[in-house]
Amino acid sequence: MKEERDIIRQVRAAREDMQAADELIRTYMPFIKAETAKFLRRSVTEGQDDELSIAMIAFHEAICGYSPARGGFLKYASMLIGSRLIDYHRKEQRHRKVISLETPLREEEDKSLGETLSDGKDHSEEMTVREATRKEIEELTAQMRDFGVSLTDVAENCPKQERTLEACRKALNYAKEHPELLEELLRTKRLPGTKLCKGSGVEKKTLERHRKYMVALLLIHTNGYEIIRGHIKQVMKGVTER
Amino acid sequence: MNYIVMECHSSYAILLDEEGRFLKAANLHYQVGQRVYDPVLMKEKKKKIFQPVRWVTGGAAVIAAGFLLVFGIHYYQNHLMSYSSIYLTINPEIRMSLNKQGKVLELTGTNQDGEALLEGYDGKGKDKVTVTDELIDRAIEMGFLAEGGQVSFSIDTPEEVLLQEYGEELEAEVKRHLKNRLSITIEIIDHHTGDRETSSTENPAGKEESGKQPAEETGQEQTPAAREEMPAAQTETPDPGLQPGNEASGPQTSQPQGSAVYEDTDYGTGSDGESDYSQPESQASREAEGDSGYEASSDYGDSGYEEEDD
Repeated sequence: MKEERDIIRQVRAAREDMQAADELIRTYMPFIKAETAKFLRRSVTEGQDDELSIAMIAFHEAICGYSPARGGFLKYASMLIGSRLIDYHRKEQRHRKVISLETPLREEEDKSLGETLSDGKDHSEEMTVREATRKEIEELTAQMRDFGVSLTDVAENCPKQERTLEACRKALNYAKEHPELLEELLRTKRLPGTKLCKGSGVEKKTLERHRKYMVALLLIHTNGYEIIRGHIKQVMKGVTER
Repeated sequence: MNYIVMECHSSYAILLDEEGRFLKAANLHYQVGQRVYDPVLMKEKKKKIFQPVRWVTGGAAVIAAGFLLVFGIHYYQNHLMSYSSIYLTINPEIRMSLNKQGKVLELTGTNQDGEALLEGYDGKGKDKVTVTDELIDRAIEMGFLAEGGQVSFSIDTPEEVLLQEYGEELEAEVKRHLKNRLSITIEIIDHHTGDRETSSTENPAGKEESGKQPAEETGQEQTPAAREEMPAAQTETPDPGLQPGNEASGPQTSQPQGSAVYEDTDYGTGSDGESDYSQPESQASREAEGDSGYEASSDYGDSGYEEEDD
């Protein structure tokens, strides 16, 4: 009974703070592994089985979605892990006919299929791009930290509704047309909310509610961050055209 | 749709999709900066929205429960909880537990006779005076209570007013109930202080009729002969052994003939002469006052009384 109360308390804390959630997940890693192993009917290894990652994200969902009305937390988490793993396996089944790259080429040979293929891409180039992207992201993260915003915050603050997303894009577009707003953002480390909503016609409440997301979006459109900007560019184009 | 991996945590990763959304997803061994195509996104639970209906129904349920509780307690205290007790003592001792309304909740025989008296009797839910009447009737029937006996009520109640009220009520009721049947002493006792208050039932008329007032009244009014008979009967009755038997047999013997016996048969053609005359006769002889009426005529049935009275 006391244990159950402890878990509920921890879950509550974890919902507010991602750090705590990560901590909780680490504590319950054996439980998650056991649940996954139960599903797969074999032992699982961390860092190898995708299913374990699925189980972890399911546990995460359990933390966010739990309420005491749903019964014991671990029971609920166990149920959620089970259903997410089933979802995942159904999805995977669609790709069943695809041969795994890990398939041995011939029975006696050590080489696997993947190793004999050339994917037509320059691996070193891809690695360079990835490295550059990583650097951009690091920089962005550091800059966001000045605003007291982390990427996890942004993910949680990100608009779920298409309409809200559209409104945020509209505000961003206005800011892009008026670079002084972006400069003001960098200078004051504050979102120029009033000017943005007056200029773009977006409701102030919407912008305030998604302040963290707006900060990230606007920062991406300041100098640098070409790769990230390139990634989301098409959508922004769409907005301008409309 | 492809995603850029923005941040990796042990249990999840943050991805940026092409439409500018930041999303949480399962970290399938991703690295920051990597482009991924088929992530397992985290399903966000919709936050619970405020549901006024549920609040209203919940609130109503709480209020209803509160009302029920209050009324339930009130009902319990008034009807189900033992509030006062009356200890009825004849020889059998009986305890009546009463609720606030004065209704009997439980009857317990506190001695052997009490248990015997209560056997086969159910007084639950009846008013205390009804139960008292019925118990006294039973006691008379079973021979526990007879002429000159005593019934005591020891009243145990937390309220002085109630004590007074119950005492008066019981006394009046027993008096009414036993009027012209038995003369007994009624004793009302305060269970706490032990204060006693006694009174007795009036019993002006003869008792051999045991409660047959109509017969008695008519007898009284009619003939002088009957009037004469009365005092004799009155002295005769205080025989405790006779009483219960009388009570049981009385209705059969005297009721059907009752008035007829006095009015016609005995004095007229003088046919039966068994019950009415035998008593006075023995009485008369016991008194031994040389009342010659009987001897002289030596003829039962007709002349004896008439001659005398005239």
